[in-house]
Amino acid sequence: MRITIKVIRKAFAAAVGVAQSTMGMLAVIAAYILHSDPFGLRAWLYVNTGFPVPLYVLVLIVFGFFSITSGLFLITEDEESP
Amino acid sequence: MRRELGFSDALMMGLSGSIGFEIFVLMDYAYFGLAGSSMVLSLLLGGLINLLIMFSYCELSAAIPKVGGEYTYTKAAYGGPVAFISGCLRWLASVFGASLAALVFARQLSYLFLRVSPIVQSVISAQAPLIAIAVIIILTALDVKGARKVGPMIVITFLALFAIFLASGLWHGLTPPDVIPKPLPEGLSGVFAATAYMFPMFFGMRALVAGAAQIKNAEKNIPRAIILSALVIMPLYFGVAYVAVGVVPLGDFDEPLLNLAAENLLPGAGGILFAIAGMVASLSALGTSIAVQSSIARGMSRDGYLPKILLSVHQRYGTPYVATIAGSLFIIFLSAVGYVEFLGYAASFGSILVFALVNLSLLRLRKKRPYLKRAFKAPLYPFTPIAGVVMSVVLLVSPIFFGDVNAIGALMSGLGLMAMVLLTYYLRMVGRYRVQVALGGIGLVMGILTALLTYLIETGFVPIILSPVSRYVLIFFSVVSILAGLLNVTARTPKIF
Repeated sequence: MRITIKVIRKAFAAAVGVAQSTMGMLAVIAAYILHSDPFGLRAWLYVNTGFPVPLYVLVLIVFGFFSITSGLFLITEDEESP
Repeated sequence: MRRELGFSDALMMGLSGSIGFEIFVLMDYAYFGLAGSSMVLSLLLGGLINLLIMFSYCELSAAIPKVGGEYTYTKAAYGGPVAFISGCLRWLASVFGASLAALVFARQLSYLFLRVSPIVQSVISAQAPLIAIAVIIILTALDVKGARKVGPMIVITFLALFAIFLASGLWHGLTPPDVIPKPLPEGLSGVFAATAYMFPMFFGMRALVAGAAQIKNAEKNIPRAIILSALVIMPLYFGVAYVAVGVVPLGDFDEPLLNLAAENLLPGAGGILFAIAGMVASLSALGTSIAVQSSIARGMSRDGYLPKILLSVHQRYGTPYVATIAGSLFIIFLSAVGYVEFLGYAASFGSILVFALVNLSLLRLRKKRPYLKRAFKAPLYPFTPIAGVVMSVVLLVSPIFFGDVNAIGALMSGLGLMAMVLLTYYLRMVGRYRVQVALGGIGLVMGILTALLTYLIETGFVPIILSPVSRYVLIFFSVVSILAGLLNVTARTPKIF
């Protein structure tokens, strides 16, 4: 396969997309952990009663979905240019 | 697809779709938490409302006997966003239903071990969501491999089981429960809330409509099978509920209502028998729901509403593995939450909205295509579809008036998901390139702001102490967001997916 700038860009975009999507998924998981507190993980993360949980859950979810979507766009970026 | 199935096959499809796992879970909260023994009336009401809605299904399935069901009808009537919304709602209802089925399996397994080994039961009970997730993963893998599912034999087995249950109830000489809600009229809100909550018990009948393309003489056989299924299901559910509330008093129970009732009627064997039946029903429903949600997603992908990657077929097994796995991830996430009452309402609301759209589609098609050949026409038109729409709205709002927090949570989540669905449709219309550039801009700003925040924290301008791990996480996030933002903004892919 000829190594062109397009190919390098596509590979780089895919790598960044994977990283961003992974970050997004971890953020959504973190939001779930903060909200539902499975297996008592909040105590393990030193989240005390004064912690503004709903705000952080909202921020993490919004950030998470933006990151996942943006990452997916980079991963599925079309090779064809206009 | 060849039309090889006759009327009896169609009837069995309708019954096998209806008699499912829902009866093993939904009556619990309806009885113990919502309406008490008036829950029996709720089932009667639900059956009558279902019959009204099924008349519209009958007419539409007879006029448009194609694969796709509700999606096809709303597309024919309204096209565009309404069809997309109905497809998404149907998909969501399948996903919520599948999550509920997985949790019911775990619950019934827990009850089985309660009778056999209480020590093991306590472990199972505490880890119910994990067990549900494990079951989902196994069934998803089987679906990807193309394993065949258990069919109508379950219907005959369950009908026999319920017949034994009813006969035992009559033999037992149960005390007739007081089904009139008290006090009136306040007690009616609980009855309606229970009707909405238990409505998924009647949903499965539309499986018959989904298989319309395989049925011979569809214009006659489908309406007959739907109506006969409804007329069999209503007295069956009424009888089972009547016996159950007659032998189990109201109280604070952790065990499922039907299992408790069966144990009271058939000590030593009844509870175990129903636990096994519940597990079989749950597995069957879960396997079907995984396949249904995959089918809906692929249909919408074929029409261009969702990414084409969902149409991918496994090279070795020939199954739609991408759509199956993608939907199963959602099912796993919902099962991990573990809130049975929330999932019950969520599955119910999604389908009730679809029912309302189907009734509206009937009204529109009568005007838009009055000369469409209709082998069956809904009786007392337009009152039947209008009543179907009105009752759907009543079922949606009644749990809210009852003040049920599970219903409120499910409705709010549903509205949020609907907003996302509409946004997805709108973004698809706008085009991939513009969406990608917009996301790139947002990502760029997020990355720059986070980098700035990290710098301000490090220089002491913002009085927050960061651990080394948090610092590196923030830096990594900033770098990735900025790079992703730049790449998206400079993308050169104007095609929509």
